This record gives sequence, C-alpha cells and structure tokens, in this order.
Amino acid sequence: MPRLVLELFRKELLLVARDRQTLLLLFVMPVALIFFLSLALKGVYVDKIIGQKVAVVIEQEGTSPKVAKLAMRIASSSMIRRVERPDGFDNHRLFEAGRAQAIVRIPDGFEQGGRPVEVQFDPVLDAGYRIALKSLVSGLTLEVVMDADPLETIAAAFVVEKTRPNRSFPSPLQQSVPGWTIFAMFFIAIPLSLGFLREKSDGTLQRLFTYPVKPSLVAVGKVIPYYLINNVQFALMFFVGVWIMPAILGLPFDLGGHPWHLIPITLVTAAAATGFGALIATCARSAEQAATLAATLSVLAGVFGGIMVPHIVMPALMKKLAMISPMYWAHQAYLDVLLREASLAVIVPKLIVLTVFALICFYIAGRRVQWI
Amino acid sequence: MNALSVSSVTFSYDGASGYALDHFSLSVAKGRMHALLGPNGAGKSTLMKIVTGQMRGYSGDVLVFGRKMPDRPALLSIGYAPQPISLYPALSAYENLRFFGAMAGLSGIQIRDRAENVLSLTGLVDYARQKVSTYSGGMQRRLNLAVALLHTPKLLLLDEPTVGVDPQSRNHIYDMLASLHAEGISILLCTHMMEEAQRLCGSVTLADRGRVVFDGPMSEVGDLEQFFLEKTGRGLRDA
Repeated sequence: MPRLVLELFRKELLLVARDRQTLLLLFVMPVALIFFLSLALKGVYVDKIIGQKVAVVIEQEGTSPKVAKLAMRIASSSMIRRVERPDGFDNHRLFEAGRAQAIVRIPDGFEQGGRPVEVQFDPVLDAGYRIALKSLVSGLTLEVVMDADPLETIAAAFVVEKTRPNRSFPSPLQQSVPGWTIFAMFFIAIPLSLGFLREKSDGTLQRLFTYPVKPSLVAVGKVIPYYLINNVQFALMFFVGVWIMPAILGLPFDLGGHPWHLIPITLVTAAAATGFGALIATCARSAEQAATLAATLSVLAGVFGGIMVPHIVMPALMKKLAMISPMYWAHQAYLDVLLREASLAVIVPKLIVLTVFALICFYIAGRRVQWI
Repeated sequence: MNALSVSSVTFSYDGASGYALDHFSLSVAKGRMHALLGPNGAGKSTLMKIVTGQMRGYSGDVLVFGRKMPDRPALLSIGYAPQPISLYPALSAYENLRFFGAMAGLSGIQIRDRAENVLSLTGLVDYARQKVSTYSGGMQRRLNLAVALLHTPKLLLLDEPTVGVDPQSRNHIYDMLASLHAEGISILLCTHMMEEAQRLCGSVTLADRGRVVFDGPMSEVGDLEQFFLEKTGRGLRDA
C-alpha cells in the first residue's frame, strides 16, 4: 500500500515538475507579485509623509511678517517640496501638468480671521496626503496666529504613539507576503483540476481503475502531492519575503513573537486550498471550465478576502462579505501572528473555519468522484 | 473453463433512450483469440469497460476465469489496452511502465525485468527514456499495448489496437498478437481490420446496436462484410 501511494505521488510530482506553465503559475507568479506589489505599495503602508514629498506652490499675498513666517514654516516641513508657479500656469494647468499637487494661498491679515488661508488640492491626490497636508497647514497657521510653540511639541506631552516593546511598525512586506502567498496557494486549484480532468479525458484515470487500486487511494495520491506543493510554496514565499525582499527594498520583516504558529496556519490553509482544487476538479466538466472557474473564484476570494484590497479599508458590508472567503480567515490568522502577536487561542477559531471549509470541499468532491 | 464469459449483460447510459448492451453474451475460450466486430455504436467499448470494472450498474454476469466481476484480484489476470492512447505524455515509456506496473502490484525488480521484455517485444527499447509526447502515433499505440502486457496477464482485451497506426506498426502489432496467442494467452480483439481478424482469430462475435447478431467459429463466416450485411442489413463499417 505505501508503495502504491509513493508511486502515485511520484507520478504526480513528475507531471508537475515537467509542466513549465504550472511551475510559472505556482512559484514564479507569486514571487513576482510579492516583489512588484511590495515595491508599489511601499508608500501606502510606510509612513507616507516621509516616503514621498508633496509638491506645493505657496503664494504670499502680502508682506506682513506673519504671512512670511507661515510661508516659511510650511515650506520647511519635511512633507513639503516647495515649487514655484511657472509663468502662464493657472491652478488647473499646474495640476494637469503635474507640476504641483497643492496650492496654499496665504492672504494678508489671515491672522485676524477675515480672510482664511486657502488650500487647493490636485483632485487626484491621495486622500491620505490631503488629510496630512491640511492638518499640517491648519496646525502651522494656529501656531503663527497664536505665536505658540510648535503644536507637535505641546501635543507630545499629552499624546504618545506606542507600539509593542521592541517592535517597529509593520512593513509592507508583512502585509503583502502572507496575502499573496495565500493567493498563490489557492491557485493550486488550476493545475490540480486541469491534471485531473486531463487524465479523465485521455483515459489514464479510467485505465488506473482497471487495476486493483481503490479509488480513494487514487484520490489521495492525486491530492497529497498538491498539498505538499502548497507547503513548499509557503516556504518559498516566506523565504523571499523574510530574507530576500528586505535586502532589496530595505524594509524589515519581523516574524512576530510566535513564528511557530505559522506552521499550523499553513497546514490548514494548504488543506483548504487543495480541498478547493479538488472541488473544482470534480465539479468542472472540461479542462477549460476548470481553469476558468478556478481562476475566477480564486480572484474573487482574493478580492473579498482582503488580499487585493486591505480588509481595513473596506466598507461595512464588504467587511461582512469578506467572511465568506477562506482567504480572509487565512490572511487574518497570518496577520495575527505577524502583526498582532496573538496567542494560539485567538488563531484557533480561524483555523477551525478553514478546516470546516476544507472538509466540506473534500466531502463534496468525494461524493462527486463516485461517478467519474 | 472459459477465460471470459459474458452472459446476458444489459446496460444503458444515463439519459440514453436505448440500451448500449442488450442481453449481450459472448465467451472467449482459454488460450483462444476471439474477435468482437461491429460498427460504431455496437457496444464493443462499453463491453470492454464493463469487463475491466470501469462501469457498474449493468445486469447479467461477467466471469473472468470463473470469478464473477467486479472482482479486484481478477482484474490482475486481465491486460487491457483501451482505444484511446491512455498514457502520460510527459513521462517516458519506462516511467509509464513503472507507474502502471506498480499499480498492478509488481515489485521494482519485476517491473525492471518485465519492462525490458515488453519494450523489446514492442520494438521500443531504444526509446525507453524518451518522453511519450515525442513518440509517433504508432509508437504510442505499441506502448499502450506494452502497458497492458507488463503484468503478464492471462486474458488480453484489445480495443482497436491498430487505430491510426501506419502499416509497418500495424504489422508489428499483429505479429506480436500472433506470438502472444501462440504462448497461450487468451485474447479478445475488437477491431475494424476484418482481414486481420479473420486471419488471427478462431471465433467471432458480431454485434450491432448492443446486440449479438452472430457468435461462432470464424470458419462459418466466409466474407465478413457480406455476412454482416445479410444479418443486419447494414455494412460493418457503417458509423
């Protein structure tokens, strides 16, 4: 019996290893996703005010010392890069040409409240930058009007931002690596179902059943190699995320206080992903249908599950809908370990949801495989 | 004891209006080569699938060397070469043989010995390590047969073993069947190659639309096509 299973494994692994498209899909695509998306999203998760400077035109409408002082204070902010308005450029053209992202107009006598300081933004400027710039201008205006010390210094006595001891803020890698790893793990459904349906259509699966081999053994021999590949994917993605990407991007990747908790999460996530693949394989009627179904459902699960759009920015309804995606539970479990340093008791309920999902998939696939 | 006895087997596919097999009976005597002939839709492949345990839900009896099917151990006495080339194209000939040999319960040493034997019999020794996807149609067909022979079955079920094969490979296959028959292996041969069937087989079953229209010695048949036309009003090659 073990020899039969080993031969089934061997055959399956040889077929995967010799299929370049499958290797690209399972290993190269997720590494590329992690690399390029971490790079692209660097500014979203890292302190954006330090990461990028906003080009601002500062216009003084007057010569009073307060106008000059405010203009100087705004211009000296670390989030601002002061630019001059080129000749013949109105506000509209300034934004259109990308010369500036905001215009601050400081009228004479603004300190008396009659004529407020005006801030106009490029309509495409990210909301985060807008809020940051507006609060910066508001704070500096207050300081100048009241002749006060810098508000940041005053506020520091009352409010302090804290992280866990010895921990820095999460890096974009900690957000994106688990997400794209889960996404890639669910893409196992494509080669799994394609392989199954290819064998069904070319008759090798039927030929297998002309030998005294139990169908359940054939099913195990088909699914377990993909389960193992899923675990290898995790190891590869995390190797890239923890050791290679930090060296390239200069961003840290902290595995949290309980990195060993990643193991049960990965084992259960791999079971959910292969269960999903087995379900597609037994429900689809053709290889084309299987590929379309697997890809579409994986992408949708990624969208709903907070892989493509962070769960935290979703509206309330989407946040609730996210719970139908197995990727959501897997992602939250990984984030519990990497960012929240959660105990096993916090992670276990998520693992139970994933296990139930896997069991349902395998049960339906098992029922459907009877007639194949 | 017959190598294969099929008694009054009736079977229909889900959703089909008629029977694929309707009280179908035939027998293959031990050590004999028997032809099963009929146009498309006669039920030849369905019968092969029933005998090899791929299909359930039929009535009637199928006995292989006296054991009532479906019977898993009895499956080992059957070597089945299906009509489609049922091999893994990404694997080499040897890897295919190793895999199916293991499924048949052969040990590693047995697989090595037997693989050499069947590869030599089918003229594929020099190509054993090449991927099947690089083979010609004739070579693939021969390997399809080699897999069926690997575990030294006592009953060989061959479903159109020369379909899509060049004349050279076809002759090679028929020479091989003749020598296997001479060794005492029982063979049920489904084919469209009537001349070869008449030359090689001692008995024949003619089938049409799931029913047996003739079952007896080949010597009683004479001109096969004419004989079939007289029995059914249809040509043997009709689709």
